[in-house]
Amino acid sequence: MPIYHQTYRSFDGTVRASGRWWAIVKHEFRVLAKSRPFLLMFLMGYPQVLLRVLQIVAVDTLASNKNNQITQMVQSVMSLKITEGMFFDFIRLQAPIVFLATILAGAGMICDDLRHNLMDIYFSKAITWRDYVVGKAMTLIIIGMIFTAVPAIFLLLLHNLLAPSMQTIRDTYWLPVPIMAFSTLLVVPCALGVLASSALFSSERYSAIGVFMVLFANLIIGQSLHRANPQLVVLAFPLALNRVGEELFTVRRPMAPISWEWSFVFIVVVCLVAFWAICRKVKRAEVAT
Amino acid sequence: MIEIRDLKISYGDTDALRGVNCSIDGGSVGLLGPNGAGKSTLLKALLGFVRVNSGTVSMFGMPMPKKALDVRRRLGYMPEREIVKPKESAVSFLTYCGCLSGMNRIDAMERAHEVLNYVGVDENRYRKMETYSTGMCQRVKFAQALIHDPQLLLLDEPTSGLDPEGRIEMLDLIAELGRKRGITILLSTHLLPDVEHVCDRVIMISKGRIAIDGPLDELTTAREGCIEIRVRDNEKAFLDALVSRGYSWRRLQTGAINLTVPAATPPRTIFEIARECGTQVRHFRAVRQSLEEVFINAISDRNGAVKVPGEQAAVEPELSTAN
Repeated sequence: MPIYHQTYRSFDGTVRASGRWWAIVKHEFRVLAKSRPFLLMFLMGYPQVLLRVLQIVAVDTLASNKNNQITQMVQSVMSLKITEGMFFDFIRLQAPIVFLATILAGAGMICDDLRHNLMDIYFSKAITWRDYVVGKAMTLIIIGMIFTAVPAIFLLLLHNLLAPSMQTIRDTYWLPVPIMAFSTLLVVPCALGVLASSALFSSERYSAIGVFMVLFANLIIGQSLHRANPQLVVLAFPLALNRVGEELFTVRRPMAPISWEWSFVFIVVVCLVAFWAICRKVKRAEVAT
Repeated sequence: MIEIRDLKISYGDTDALRGVNCSIDGGSVGLLGPNGAGKSTLLKALLGFVRVNSGTVSMFGMPMPKKALDVRRRLGYMPEREIVKPKESAVSFLTYCGCLSGMNRIDAMERAHEVLNYVGVDENRYRKMETYSTGMCQRVKFAQALIHDPQLLLLDEPTSGLDPEGRIEMLDLIAELGRKRGITILLSTHLLPDVEHVCDRVIMISKGRIAIDGPLDELTTAREGCIEIRVRDNEKAFLDALVSRGYSWRRLQTGAINLTVPAATPPRTIFEIARECGTQVRHFRAVRQSLEEVFINAISDRNGAVKVPGEQAAVEPELSTAN
């Protein structure tokens, strides 16, 4: 018998009863960290951050020298100014990256577990279906936040560090709230939508195609209804999201003449429908909890 | 450890379990039954995977499904269906299972290596699971059931897909866990030899009800009036003499003779007849009822016809597989 051969030993360590969903999040991140396409997508999410850093450094450092010609040029260009609109635009322009990264990470999350009969294994351990859903959803939400809220807060801090004055603080003290709120409104429907698609389709590929199709269909239907009644454009998800974002950042742009309240309600409804679809599928595998 | 009272479960209009009562306090228990008898449903009810229509299930003194998480901390489950975690090695998968059971990652990884060693997954543990053979997947499935050191193991067809050598190894491991480590085993299978190898008690389910429940030794007791003999010299005369006195006989494939003794005839009469015929009796033993016969009797109706819900033909091939 080889020297390393061991017989069965009892486990004498401790097991914790809380934070079960966090084990799922950590494992999913470990798996994603080994995925080259995801790492590539991760890198693609940061060029805009780099550009915004350059913008803030340029505006804040050059602005200190009033006689500099470049300063006057920079200050004359409205789009380069560090305002609440810049943070809104930053998060808004990150939306496609969030969408693609969420699909890349989440399209196979539930359908692969179902297809490979892993649900029986997971639910024979001490986890509930809620832990499972929360673990998967939180993974995608954290990924989304890494592309939106985290760099936006970093940019905000950078701006305050490079232009330290009471005026800067007065202008920006309220921005963390809209940054977090708008990022959440962007990331949560994306995460839940992709997970719902993963729960409803049988493979990762079909799930990803399903999300794209729903999004395009939503845009087309929204635009078509817009012709009949301009208010119905609220049913186009990206427009509804932008409208709520405008309200949160107090940016007034006549992008779509729709009410932000109805836009917000539509986003919440999308989240609820997606959450219902996920729960319904996962609860079939485990009814006890 | 397990207490089931009047358990009824149905899928739509089909009754899967129709009032099951049993209790298991330890040891290795074999759960036998034809396809559709309700074995897997019973295991799923113990895990809280199916909705119970009526009745109660309590495990480790805790009611299910109310205390499902506490119960699951103490049990390990090996499902029948093939599993694979794509793009992950067995070590990574088992570590994850350990973390799901509440272990910290270091403990879980250490334990993953231990149980993979134990079930005989050697250096292959670092390979991606999609490259594993069915037998390897079966071992990994068994290992994940052991990762958190359970007190009760629910095993659903643990030897399916294994080659004969692998099957014996797996059964030895299960038997060792039951006999030496004190882990309670509930083994659901179609393979009667597996049950005979591992279990000391058998529960047979037929048509959603428990048909037989008892120790294996008692179920396979000596059959009354049935004796197996081997003789030398004057065999034909001896057999003719037996027949003339009301005995009937049948030659077995092994060459032995299976004798049915008339009622109220003492066994020594056979030796007297042999002496009269000048025959030597070289082998004499009471015929024990095999588990296979017990199984067939349990699932047969009064006329002796095998009746299995929805799948009559499926029973015989299963028995021949067992042989």
